[in-house]
Amino acid sequence: MSDNHAESIVALLNVSKGFMRDKLEIPVLTNTTLHIPKGDFVAVMGPSGSGKSTLLNLCAGLDRPTTGKVIVNGQDLGELSEARLSKWRSENLGFIFQMYNLMPVLSAQENVELPLMLTPLSRAERRKHAEASLRIVGLSDRADHYPRQLSGGQEQRVAIARALANDPVLLLADEPTGNLDATSAQEVLDLLESLNEQFGVTIIMVTHDPKAARRAKRLLHLEKGSFVQADIEALETSLRGVAR
Amino acid sequence: MKYLPLILRNVTRNKIRSIFTGSSIAVSLFLVVMLYSFLSVQDANNEASKVHNRIIAMNVQGLTGDVPIAYVDRIRKIEGVRYAVPYSWYGGMYKDDKITFGQFGTDANSIMNVLEEYKLAPEQLAAWKADKTGCVVGSILARNKGWKLGDKVPLKGDIYPVNLEFTVRGIYEGSSSTDREMLWFHFSYLDDSLKEINAPTAGNAGIVMLNAESADIMPDLMKKIDSTFASSDAPVRAMTEKQFQQSFMEMMGNVRGFIRYTSIAVVVALLCVAANTMAMALRERTREIALFKAIGFPQSTILGLFLSEAVAIGLLGGVFGALGAKLLFEVVDFSKWVPGLGWLYVPWSTALAGVALATAIGLVSGIYPAWRAANVSVVEGLRKIV
Amino acid sequence: MIPIKYNLRSLMARKIGSLMTIFGTGMVVWASIFAFGLYGGLEKTFNTSVSPLDVLILRQGSTSETASAVTEAAAREIMTFPGIATDDQGNVLAAPELVVISYISKRDGSGNANITVRGVLPNSRLLRDNFKIVAGDDFRPGVREAIVSRALSDRFQGLRIGEEFIVQDKPFKVVGYFESGGGTSESEVWTDQRVLAQVANRTGATSSVQLRAVSKDAQQQLIDRITADEQVALKAVTEEQYYSDLAEQSFFIKMIGQIIAFFLTLGAMFAVANTMYGAIASRAREIGTLRALGFGRFSILAAFLLESLVLCVLGALLGCAGALLLGEIRTGTMGGSFTEVVFSFNFGPDVLFKGALLAVVMGLIGGFAPALRAVRMKVVDALREV
Repeated sequence: MSDNHAESIVALLNVSKGFMRDKLEIPVLTNTTLHIPKGDFVAVMGPSGSGKSTLLNLCAGLDRPTTGKVIVNGQDLGELSEARLSKWRSENLGFIFQMYNLMPVLSAQENVELPLMLTPLSRAERRKHAEASLRIVGLSDRADHYPRQLSGGQEQRVAIARALANDPVLLLADEPTGNLDATSAQEVLDLLESLNEQFGVTIIMVTHDPKAARRAKRLLHLEKGSFVQADIEALETSLRGVAR
Repeated sequence: MKYLPLILRNVTRNKIRSIFTGSSIAVSLFLVVMLYSFLSVQDANNEASKVHNRIIAMNVQGLTGDVPIAYVDRIRKIEGVRYAVPYSWYGGMYKDDKITFGQFGTDANSIMNVLEEYKLAPEQLAAWKADKTGCVVGSILARNKGWKLGDKVPLKGDIYPVNLEFTVRGIYEGSSSTDREMLWFHFSYLDDSLKEINAPTAGNAGIVMLNAESADIMPDLMKKIDSTFASSDAPVRAMTEKQFQQSFMEMMGNVRGFIRYTSIAVVVALLCVAANTMAMALRERTREIALFKAIGFPQSTILGLFLSEAVAIGLLGGVFGALGAKLLFEVVDFSKWVPGLGWLYVPWSTALAGVALATAIGLVSGIYPAWRAANVSVVEGLRKIV
Repeated sequence: MIPIKYNLRSLMARKIGSLMTIFGTGMVVWASIFAFGLYGGLEKTFNTSVSPLDVLILRQGSTSETASAVTEAAAREIMTFPGIATDDQGNVLAAPELVVISYISKRDGSGNANITVRGVLPNSRLLRDNFKIVAGDDFRPGVREAIVSRALSDRFQGLRIGEEFIVQDKPFKVVGYFESGGGTSESEVWTDQRVLAQVANRTGATSSVQLRAVSKDAQQQLIDRITADEQVALKAVTEEQYYSDLAEQSFFIKMIGQIIAFFLTLGAMFAVANTMYGAIASRAREIGTLRALGFGRFSILAAFLLESLVLCVLGALLGCAGALLLGEIRTGTMGGSFTEVVFSFNFGPDVLFKGALLAVVMGLIGGFAPALRAVRMKVVDALREV
């Protein structure tokens, strides 16, 4: 890990974040520093409430840290207003959710085009981009299908195509396989892996699934708000042990 | 009744929605109750006028025809007539008013005996009788115009080519449904002024208002009046006060019909609104309803719960809207802005009918959603997430 | 911007809820248009009666022709004043006219009304633009014949061609129908002035003088000159003024329309807000996703306001269509001085536009609070919603 955050696509500098619950502040992240270099594929694991989702939200600028700085792609997110953050997100990020979060009333193609509405691209260009994205996830033939006509795995692939549509520098995935059967999960992970390897997209993936975590280049383990460097093999055995 | 807490909990769980649906019903019901009060008070006043056994005699040509003033005395002498007075619409304009109010030239000696539901203090009546240019005004009219005893009231003649200036000698009172926006003056004051300028319209009593000794003799009395003047230059037609007021309403055209059409549209719109609310509640709670059924609640209970909720919301809106209208009319005097509306109020019967209507709207709007709720499939309902 | 098809399809996805709301707002718009159309029709009738250069001369103090009188001598003198227009044949565009009221029964049996019977001279026709006989013949001078508008003949007994009606004991025969572009003349019966004066015993004076000035300046000069002459005690008003005063006397109808529209719009706003709250609550996760994708707060606000607007505008279209489906509704009311004015509901573009405007208000105000809630949702929480 490099200390020079200029090379990092994501840098968390002394970040703390807590939530107010019944007038008590519950710390989620405490004084955390983290650098993720360009081209990395990081899996973030940890028990519920360890701060995984908070980490993703901070990286996306959906949430602001109590103290510390979040710098993504050279931009200090704390310096941006709400409105500028929205625009910044549309230009730099791709999102993948556990529940896919496709708009049920839009077709696959239209869902993928959605983030492109925020760009000055013409209608035809948007179409081309969306088609290209769908081709990458292998769903060109499903462009006109609506989410309810797709399987869970297909829905998630459309969601990935949507996340790719605006050529993001960073892909944030929140439990992307959490709702999928084993085969579909495989397909989605294959896809993420190839995106990372072939297109050099940086990916941060929060997951509970050790199988998914193994596909990442690197594993971060969150425990009570701090990172623990972890070895996947060891983790896996320990998890198995717990399971038994 | 043991389900009452649950029903109330359901009504209040999505507060905004219940409040908005209730408000929508309340505001619309307010309007309907207001419009219907207009109709029902009119009817009630017409009915009430029956007890006074009053008869109106007017020219067969209608209000614009002549009734010679001598007819008043002739009618007074007919057997069965208690009192008879001229009642001539002057229709003058006060200051810059665009709209006139009721001004009637009549007979101070008998008018309070004919319009016996109105109260005028004896000393004021005496003061009026003593002053040829004196007049008596209704309490609401006096309040709206700011008139006190002794004030001068100059009116510009519109129908008649003479201007009259009156002095307020009395202020009459009456119950809430009576017309307290009239001005009564001596017929002779108007008539003498007309004679002075040799106007051809002098000597016209307008109409003759009389009361009969009993209700039984009224039909015969009216026939007798008709036949007395049948072959004269100015034949008259006698009718009950109720018929007379109706003929006035008839000239207004189909206002009553339009009020009814509008009200029907409002009710249909409210049915849609309320049904939509219940449909939303159903969609939100499908899972929960499935759970209720899984536990073993029978369909009928679920149906009942849903219907009760719809009824409760309708009732809520009805109570606020209908009773709100009632309260508003008790407190605020609308005749200030709408001259001639001083008699309007919301009767209890109309207000309660409004509440009942709102409740019915709730019930009807709940039927389909409740039926759907009762038929939610347990298996699918429990699986459903959104 | 969020593509509008997202909102449109979301509306389609909630078919029943959307339809209910559209139908509800549609009924409200319909009822409002109905109420506006009533007064609009009356106003239009008065307005189309107006020729900008026409002047009406009445007795001083009188606000309507019914109660006015202008002596023959005065009328003759006025007609020699300079500034009065003439037509190609050199006819002076001025005519004294006599108005007598006849009390006639309605065809549907719903009572009687005062009908204006106008005694005219040949020149009177020239003063009504668009006057023409559309069926039968014109009346012959010197005999008791009359012409009426078709609208009036359909509404009152004895006014169809070949039928007879009574003025002051004497029968008049209807021989033709005329049109005059929809103005108040179409609420009148026209007959020969001399015949009418004899029958009504009104020789020596007419009710009014109508004339057309050559220009606006001449019009003002004529008015000033007539008003200044205290000897004849006449007043001259532009026709525009005369009819706008008449319209004002029907302000009650106008006010009822506005009250109905106000309350219904308010009620509908709550209903629209409800629907939109429901829509937004059930789509919280979608909204969160849109925000996460980078759509700003303004986009979200605009999208949901638009959605609410679409609902209401569809409702407005439904309401307008409903109003147009009613076709032409003819009705009548007492239009000043107790005489009947026959008119059609005005469902013209201006009235429909007013109704549609109400829908826009409903959509924007009713949709605003819910849209604001969508905007203020915390993205992080919204994404977690089930």
